[in-house]
Amino acid sequence: MSQPVPSGPKLRLDGVRKTFTVPRSGATVVAVETADLTIEAGEFLTIVGPSGCGKSTILNMLAGLELPTEGTVAMDGRTITGPAAERGMVFQDYALFPWKTVFENVEFGLRYGPHGKGLSTAERRRRVARCVELVGLGGSEQKYPHELSGGMRQRCGIARLVANEPDVLLMDEPFAALDAQTRIILQEELLRIWGETGNRAERRTVVFITHAIDEAVFLSDRVVVMSAHPGRIIEVLDVGLPRPRTDATRTRPEFQALSQAIWNLIRDEVYRAATAAGSAGGARD
Amino acid sequence: MSTRRWPRYFILPLGLLVLWQLWGMTLPARSRAPVPLDVLASAVDLIASGRLPMALLQSLGRVGLGFLVAGSIALVLGLLMGFFRPVERNLDPIIESFRPVAPIALLPLAILWLGTGTPAAVFIVAYAAFFPMIVNTIAGVKGVERRLVQAAQTLGVPQLTILRTVVLPAALPSIFIGVRLAMGLAWMSIIAAELAVGSKGGGGGSGGVGEMMFVFYAYYIELDSIVVCMIAVGLVALAIDHGLRWLQRWLMPWAEQYR
Repeated sequence: MSQPVPSGPKLRLDGVRKTFTVPRSGATVVAVETADLTIEAGEFLTIVGPSGCGKSTILNMLAGLELPTEGTVAMDGRTITGPAAERGMVFQDYALFPWKTVFENVEFGLRYGPHGKGLSTAERRRRVARCVELVGLGGSEQKYPHELSGGMRQRCGIARLVANEPDVLLMDEPFAALDAQTRIILQEELLRIWGETGNRAERRTVVFITHAIDEAVFLSDRVVVMSAHPGRIIEVLDVGLPRPRTDATRTRPEFQALSQAIWNLIRDEVYRAATAAGSAGGARD
Repeated sequence: MSTRRWPRYFILPLGLLVLWQLWGMTLPARSRAPVPLDVLASAVDLIASGRLPMALLQSLGRVGLGFLVAGSIALVLGLLMGFFRPVERNLDPIIESFRPVAPIALLPLAILWLGTGTPAAVFIVAYAAFFPMIVNTIAGVKGVERRLVQAAQTLGVPQLTILRTVVLPAALPSIFIGVRLAMGLAWMSIIAAELAVGSKGGGGGSGGVGEMMFVFYAYYIELDSIVVCMIAVGLVALAIDHGLRWLQRWLMPWAEQYR
């Protein structure tokens, strides 16, 4: 797919509010309180915040899996009314099809969705094989998801997304369930796949959700900080660290200072939530 | 399970049979209690003459046909009802109000409309098999992980394709439970239906194992042969269920580790 020349922002949230009605009591819960945000084409944007801050709700609205109660969410100036192949997603729990092999999972979007139209079977298979290689799953094509480690499953999830060549990559805490070492490796590989070292104009737009501050700073061009109850955007920060990001990035004073600044923004709330959960859950921890 | 352990499964049933035989031999000769050796003799006779295999085949054919009819309707309706709320809202009251009506209660209707032969029997089987299959299909579709559907949606896959490529395979383990339950019920009702129609002089008999049992009971009072039929019915049901389980493992090799 050729990238359209970006005139306005790639994605835009305009006065977006999202409320839910609690089934039994009928009470209204505000998940996201009046959010305005623009995301440029080719930008790597991360949203951080404590649980319940509505960051996943925002991502779901960008995907079109949920619609805002008020306001509009738009891509390339067109209001988003439902999910589409242009906005692909990676899930925290991988959401791989357990009855399909790695190869078939990666092939799924091209085989059954609009982005595979016009591809011959051979072309499609070549692209799938390339994506499987790209994420380092070469040799595991015929394995089923239950035969893979968590890290390999998420590599497969990323390959499934990348193979479909969406304009926008939406990632919902993709590394949250992985161990610390695997996370670091996959963070670096994600930036490589995104095209960090290549031409800036060729990069896709990424919206990445996490609750890990260091992950947000390491990956992003900008970090959106949210707070909970109600979920709202409290700060948008430019990262400004040079790319490509490496191990050395993590030890730079700017990296540390920015991480600390974000932590200061949400610390009170995280403590409040932790102690509330602690007293509600008894004397554990 | 390994074949080495097979003999152990037979110890208890064989022991019981021996006890039954010994007890039977203490009874006076004119009592009609069927004892194992007489039943065995009768079985050899019924199988060798080809009567039992033919009757079983006829009943099985009816079960297969009725099952196919019910299965295809239940699968399509169940998928649509589980996936699209409005479809379920409209169809659910109709289906739920028919569900408690026992298949055998429809026999008078079936005979009046379709006669006493195969069409009526297939109708009863289809009716019996339909409900467990549709209920389990709907439950299976509703139990499909939402994330899997969302993953397909964000790849741009259209809804009806998602129904076929994601919802159907994800719901398959549950659908198969419905198939196994339905097979049991179908087999049960075919015997009951054939037995109830029985055999009329001058044609109009139901045919199948059920009719055979009716004839042995009503015309000859041959309890041994009736027991042979009962055992045959049980063994066929067991074989079918094993076949279905094998089919399930073959169709869903991922399911054992996945569930």
